[in-house]
Amino acid sequence: MSLFTVLLMGKSGSGKTSMRSIIFANYIARDTRRLGATIDVEHSHVRFLGNLVLNLWDCGGQDTFMENYFTSQRDNIFRNVEVLIYVFDVESRELEKDMHYYQSCLEAILQNSPDAKVFCLVHKMDLVQEDQRDLIFKEREEDLKRLSRPLSCTCFRTSIWDETLYKAWSSIVYQLIPNVQQLETNLRNFAQIIEADEVLLFERATFLVISHYQCKEQRDAHRFEKISNIIKQFKLSCSKLAASFQSMEVRNSNFAAFIDVFTSNTYVMVIMSDPSIPSAATLINIRNARKHFEKLERVDGPKHSLHMRMR
Amino acid sequence: MVQVYIITKPELQNKLITVTAMGKKLIGCPVCIEHKKYSRNALLFNLGLVCDAQTNTCVLEPVVKKLSGYLTTLELESSFISNEESKQKLLPIMSTLLEELNAKGACTLPINESNTIHLKLIQLRKDPPIVQEYDVPVFTQCKDHFIKSQWDLTTQQILPFIDGFRHIQKIAAEADVELNIVRIAVQNLLYYGVVTMVSVFQYSNVYCTTPKVQSLIDDKSIQEECLSYVTKQGQKRASLRDVFQLYCGLSPGTTVRDLCSRYSLQLQRVDERRLIQFGLMKSLIRRLQKYPMKVMRDERSRPPRLFTGCHSYDEICCKTGTSHQELDERLENDPNIVVCWK
Repeated sequence: MSLFTVLLMGKSGSGKTSMRSIIFANYIARDTRRLGATIDVEHSHVRFLGNLVLNLWDCGGQDTFMENYFTSQRDNIFRNVEVLIYVFDVESRELEKDMHYYQSCLEAILQNSPDAKVFCLVHKMDLVQEDQRDLIFKEREEDLKRLSRPLSCTCFRTSIWDETLYKAWSSIVYQLIPNVQQLETNLRNFAQIIEADEVLLFERATFLVISHYQCKEQRDAHRFEKISNIIKQFKLSCSKLAASFQSMEVRNSNFAAFIDVFTSNTYVMVIMSDPSIPSAATLINIRNARKHFEKLERVDGPKHSLHMRMR
Repeated sequence: MVQVYIITKPELQNKLITVTAMGKKLIGCPVCIEHKKYSRNALLFNLGLVCDAQTNTCVLEPVVKKLSGYLTTLELESSFISNEESKQKLLPIMSTLLEELNAKGACTLPINESNTIHLKLIQLRKDPPIVQEYDVPVFTQCKDHFIKSQWDLTTQQILPFIDGFRHIQKIAAEADVELNIVRIAVQNLLYYGVVTMVSVFQYSNVYCTTPKVQSLIDDKSIQEECLSYVTKQGQKRASLRDVFQLYCGLSPGTTVRDLCSRYSLQLQRVDERRLIQFGLMKSLIRRLQKYPMKVMRDERSRPPRLFTGCHSYDEICCKTGTSHQELDERLENDPNIVVCWK
């Protein structure tokens, strides 16, 4: 069992609790309007893929709390941190102050957890005019990368109203998955055996993409997070009607897509563009692959090679 | 890290919280009002008092709790705290609060045309002991200082009969007020320290000194008070030597009657009843009571009701309407009864 401490920091009202609620607590974007200010630190334990636990520290951003994190609470907050996620409100009018706090964070990280991975989320991008977004993000990213030296940071532009939120969090969590290489190798083997165009592996509760395989280039580079977003929303809508989403098949003349429960902690999406392969075959193949992938998810599962037959 | 107790998580909201830190005590009551009109869907505030860490802050607690309730209502009714304009009034209000509570122990805070807040620090006293019908109430200060009209009707009716010698049962009979009501009224006076209780005076009573009798020599103010209290009406002031000798003359086995015959010289200028009364009020002497106890009895007979060693002669006589002398005669001839002095 791997335990990772993830610090979620940023100015008050920047969107930390909203993000956390959408990704981990099944909120839809509209629900986050009801949230109140976070008092001091809210701790949550998120179980991920059965062998990963995220110890999430959602830190209230009011000045009084921030001052405290850097002084009396410093060791408590910044020690043994694996990931720092710093959220910037793109509309903030106090850029200097934001940067000052960010740098204080980095200082504390450098002293207490120098190996931590740093992510900067430039958030609420939906409030920026569409044609300005790329430019503004690029500027911010440059500033942040410069300011963060000697530490390196990975920047994402995000909004709770589109798929960009999923892209950021998928990328963050992906870096923490213990046996991700093994997972990817096995997924590739699986995809090649069943002759799929593309296979996606999602974490079951959050629908974050944790692994994928593609055999050829596709047009939309953002399709993964878009699918996360769409399926998650659909799943939540189903539960509001007291129905629980299990599987889905989407077909047209060009392709067939299958979304189904995979292991106890994952969902799988398989895209087939060969029309000669019937649905039933693909579904059986998915079912047969399950057992193998279940074993992979156990903490000290031995290495297995994939034995399968095409029907 | 005191702030987590001032603006708190939901679990601690609406509770009176006292934090001791940095040599101070902070007493507050954090409030949370949830409503979507507020920018983060809720208003959180806390009005607290800061005292020195050594201060006993019990009396301040009801005030803090009350204020939090008042402010909550003001906010709900007229957005008093969240509105930028009315918010300005908070500073002068808090200023007045601090000044007046410190100066007078009470304050009046005008808020607006329709609201004024009145606050008072109420000293908490210990619960008074139960008043028995054989106990005697005596005024702790001069009776004339007592403003009759401020008290309830019962108290006003029994007041003339409180002379430091009448016991509760007698007061009830003479004032024509039910016994239990007199007890409650006197207990109330006892709570506020207006009266103190002593035992009934009889010449057959036995007293002995307590270590506190030394204070008559050491403490000048008690000396003064004593000498003016015990001097006979119309006489020259009694001497300390005489009075002290008299108190020391009290011991187990010596009745007041005995004292009077032995120290008749010293008693020329001293009223012995007032001498005993003062001694009891100031705990310079204490009464030795007699407690009869049945020691041998039949297995079959009922257990004794009053002769258990827990009921004094005073109590038994009061309850049964017999005199000490009659009780003495009855018990002296009973071989099964032993009398303890304590």
